Formats: sequence, C-alpha cells, structure tokens
Amino acid sequence: MTAMEAYPAASDEAIIEVEHVSAGYGAHRVLEDVSLQVRRGEIMVIMGGSGSGKSTLLRCLLGLHRPCNGMVRLYGRDIAALSGRQWTALRKKIGVAFQGGALFNSMSVGENVCLPLREHTRLAPNTMQIISRMKLEMVNLAGFEHLMPAQLSGGMLKRAALARALVMDPGLVFFDEPSAGLDPIVAADLDNLILRIREATEITLVVVTHELESAFKIADRITVLDRGRVLMTGSVAQVRDSTIPRLRNLLTRTAEQQPLDAEQYLRRLTGGTD
Amino acid sequence: MNPGGLRGFTERLGQRAAGGVEDFGYGALLLAESLYWLVLGRWWQQPVRLRAMANEMVEVGVMAIPVLSILSFANGAMMAMQGIYTLREFGAESQVITGLAVSVTREFGVLMAGIVVAGRSGSAIAARIGTMQMAQEIDALRVMGVAPVRYLVSPILVAFVVMMPLLTLLADSMAMLGGGLISMRELDISFATYLERVGSALTPADLWQGLVKSLVFGVLIAVVATTNGFNASKGAEGVGRATTRSVVLSISAIVVADMLFTFFLIL
Amino acid sequence: MSFPVEKRQGFLVVMLAGEVDLSRSPEARKVIMKALKKMHSVMVDMSRVEYIDSSGVASLVEGFQYARSNNLEFALAGVSEAAMNVLRLARLDQVFPIYASLEARLEAGA
Repeated sequence: MTAMEAYPAASDEAIIEVEHVSAGYGAHRVLEDVSLQVRRGEIMVIMGGSGSGKSTLLRCLLGLHRPCNGMVRLYGRDIAALSGRQWTALRKKIGVAFQGGALFNSMSVGENVCLPLREHTRLAPNTMQIISRMKLEMVNLAGFEHLMPAQLSGGMLKRAALARALVMDPGLVFFDEPSAGLDPIVAADLDNLILRIREATEITLVVVTHELESAFKIADRITVLDRGRVLMTGSVAQVRDSTIPRLRNLLTRTAEQQPLDAEQYLRRLTGGTD
Repeated sequence: MNPGGLRGFTERLGQRAAGGVEDFGYGALLLAESLYWLVLGRWWQQPVRLRAMANEMVEVGVMAIPVLSILSFANGAMMAMQGIYTLREFGAESQVITGLAVSVTREFGVLMAGIVVAGRSGSAIAARIGTMQMAQEIDALRVMGVAPVRYLVSPILVAFVVMMPLLTLLADSMAMLGGGLISMRELDISFATYLERVGSALTPADLWQGLVKSLVFGVLIAVVATTNGFNASKGAEGVGRATTRSVVLSISAIVVADMLFTFFLIL
Repeated sequence: MSFPVEKRQGFLVVMLAGEVDLSRSPEARKVIMKALKKMHSVMVDMSRVEYIDSSGVASLVEGFQYARSNNLEFALAGVSEAAMNVLRLARLDQVFPIYASLEARLEAGA
C-alpha cells in the first residue's frame, strides 16, 4: 500500500499557498517566482540540493524572512498582513522541528517539550507533564526527559525537536532536514515515525530535505527546487519518471558541467586585475 | 577595486558608521519592546516570567558579589593610601575620609559595579544570545509564538535594574570598609570615629547620585549586551566577536554616561 | 457547558462528547476526578467524541493513574476511531482498559 492509495485525495483545501514569491538577502536573489500549494493532510516534501533556496523558502513560510515579492498564505491568511497577536494565535497551530533541533540548551528535554504548553495554555502542571511525556513516548524518547540537549545524539535531538513541534497538536508541521547527518538506519526510523504520526492524526506535513530516498518514502507530493526556482511539483512517481534534464541530474547525483569560459576562468584565478 | 585604497577606506568608514547607527537604533527598539512586554505582557496573557527574572538576578547580581566585594575593598584601600600619601604633604591627611566617602558613593562604587557586571554578565549574555541565534533557538522561540524579546530580554532588563543599585550599595560599603581599615591604621583612629566622619561627610544626595547612575548603567549594559547577542554573525567566531564587542561597548557606554552625568550634576 | 455524568448499575459514567481539546480538557479532567472521588467504578463513554487532543488524553491518563493508586476501576468505552488513533500513537491503547461499548462492561457485572 503506497501513501497515494491510502490518501487518495488529501482534501483540496490548501493549507499553504505560495504565490510568485521571490526572496533574497540584500542584492542576492535566492528565490525567484516560486509558487506552490500544500493541501490539508498531505506530506509535501520540498527537495533540492544545497543552494537551491529550500531553506530560504522554509524561512519565508515560517514568517522568519520577508519575501521581496509575492505572497504566502497559511490557513488562508496572508501572513504579511497579520498583526503580532494574530501571528501568535496562528503559530500555536503550527509546529516546527529545526534541522539541528534548536532545543534550548539550558533546559532539560522534558522542559523543552513542555515550553509551548507553559507559554500558551493554562493546563495543570501535571497535565502538561503527561502530555510532554506522551509526545516523547511517540518519538521513542521515553525516559530521556531529564537529560540535557547536550547529552543527546543527533538523531535524538531531531526526535526531541519533533516532540516539541507536536506538543500543541498542531495541524501543520514543518520538519527541516529530518535525515541530514544521520546514519541510514536512524534516518529510516525517523521516516517511519513521520508516516506513523500522519496516519494517526490529520496533520499536514512539510518536510524539507535533500535526501532522495527519504523524500520518495514519505512524500505524497514533491516540489523540487533548483537554483531558486521550482523545477517541478508532482507525485513521487511523476518526479521519479520525469525527463527534465536538471532533475535527472539531481536524481542521479551528477553535477552538471558548466561550459568553461577560459577567459573568465583565468580572470577569476588571478583575482580580477586586468 | 583595491580594498586598501582611499575609496576602500572611506567606504568601510561609512559602513562602520552606518552599522553603528543601525546598532543604536536596534538597541533602542529592543529596550522599547522589552518595556512593552513588561508593562502589557500580562494583559495579552504573555507575561514576563518571574522565574526567569529571578534566575537572571541570581546570575547578574548574586554571582557578582564575591568579585565585586574584593575589587571594591581593594579599590577603597588603595584610594585611602593614595589620598593619605598626597594629603600628608599639606598636613591634611585626615581630610582623606571626606574625599573617600564622597568620591566612592558618587563615582567609584557605581563604576566598579558597572565594570564588574559588564565584564561578567555583559559578555555572558551576548555569548548566550549569540549562541542561541546560531543554533536557531531564537527562530524556534519565534515560530512557537514566543516573542524572543519578552522571553530573553525583559527578564535581563529587570534583573539589571534591580541588581545594579544593590550591587552599587555593596561596592560602596566594601570600598568604605577597605578605606576605613587603612585610615584606622594610618590616622590612628577607631572604626567608630571613622564611621562618624564618613557620616558627617555624606549627604543623601551623594548616595542618590550613585544610585541613579547605577540604574542608567544597568539599562545600558543590558541593551548593549542583548543587542550584540542578537546581531552576532554566524559561527563561533561571530559569537566571540559579539562577546568582546559587548564588553568593550558597554564599559565605554558606562564611562561616557558617567562623564555626562558628572558634568551635568556637578556643574 | 460541562460533561454529563450518569449513574448506571453501580458505575458512574462520564460522557465525553464533541471536541475534547485544550479549551475543554480541564473541564473533562475535573469531571473525571470528581467522579472517581464519588464512586469506585468509573466509565468514560467516548462514543460521541469527535476529536480529542493530547490534553484530553492526558486528562484520561490522570484519571487512570488516580484510580490505579486508589484501587478504583477506570475504563474507557466506545472509543471512536479518531480517538483510538490518538491513543494508539501514544501506545495508550495497551494501557487503558477499553470496552467496545458501555453495555459490554455493564453486562459483565461487578
């Protein structure tokens, strides 16, 4: 049973709409006219090599980076037009697991997972503890709540970050590079975890990754970014069978040889003095 | 474009100046936002946590007690020795107590406290926030819907504003104690006499001057340290640089502010 | 708007319904704890639960923990598929006594 069969039509309601977004840092353009939609209940994988702009796209989606053009809508709302309080309300429905975990070093794992509850709810302390332990249980980190982040391995950090992202039962979860820097077995474990969570809850997941294998395993749809542009968006099969040359290169992991301009190359090497 | 040329130099100078203005503006915004959270946070059900404030107070204030005590004590003793040595030529060495009492309460107590706190906590805070920035912890706070300024800066600001006057009082008394021991030996007076002379030399205004300054210094150190933390550039090197900058800038800010104060309060 | 409680054949039945989420789970917790202090057999009827979030499940866990340490009976009945999925993800389906329906437990007797 593939993911596509199990979830024939993740509802057509778009949770994320990105329209013609361009973004960059200073004069340096990183994203150029990117558009995509993520539907409720699907796992969308944003894939691309380093420098493809996928991290910047994620930052735009999270409201951490303001695009210089275009619009991002989350749950149907233009995020550029949100007030501080509206943002806060929206962010309670969104969970984010950052690449390196981004756990707070001064707190134990349990306190980290508990933090969103402490900040946003008025639940009894005992209830909060039970919830955070449940989430740690979910990501197979039961019993690690008293450890400090510095004592965890890379894979454990990512799982703890996922537990923290899930603690408010968000409808939308972003996961940045779940398998980067992990050995294949741990990475596969995380992929299974992602699938298991989606199976049990009506969650929409956006996973940013450069790992093909992981992308093909968990995705309902894949958006491939390349040099700041969307190369294609499609199902796993569509991406796998695509004949776009750049995409084939990405899939077979061969770097495209740029035609060499001898004149310019020499100038680069000698430091540009003519 | 030759980076060493005159044009490169003026360009870099311009960038530096623009960066300085930018940092200043950023610091002012940080201060405004952390005050906003302190005043209105509870209203929006986003309070600044008492526990965080208490932790910072321990970190900023309580932990500074030993080193500040020793430094102030030594400083007071040295001032007394120098004063007695200088004044003895005029046969006015007993006047040292008046000079000591006034300059310590108005000037040196608060300056010692400021420098110790800037050195200890200014650097630590810049390093902590810089590291958090690097590890995406600040981003994590933001996407959780927790304003980083409310969570990180407001408690620090409160801690500095509460602890700096207390530390200043501590520095004042330790310096007076140090100066007292020297005076007792050199002038051959009792501790009670010493205290009596100190008491008659001081007016409440002297103490106030020091305490008001300590509040200003506290705000300055807090803002400079957090600004440098948030603006730390990527990498361990960036955090290191932010730490150094934080100490240098906050001590400079203190000294400049002190000079302005003295200028306007005395003249 | 609280959750109704009903006495049936020596059981106190707490009827959770609708969405048991962050805003309503403190209420659910209160009702469950109160029921456990009143009678030593408490069932939670979950057949009309449309959605339960972690805080709702946590309230159930708290109730169960209290029952266990005081030698009381605490069980869930008629758990809807949506709620079951949530329990399963936290592997709590293997922890709670769960009955297909309220009647299934009532017929078994004390």
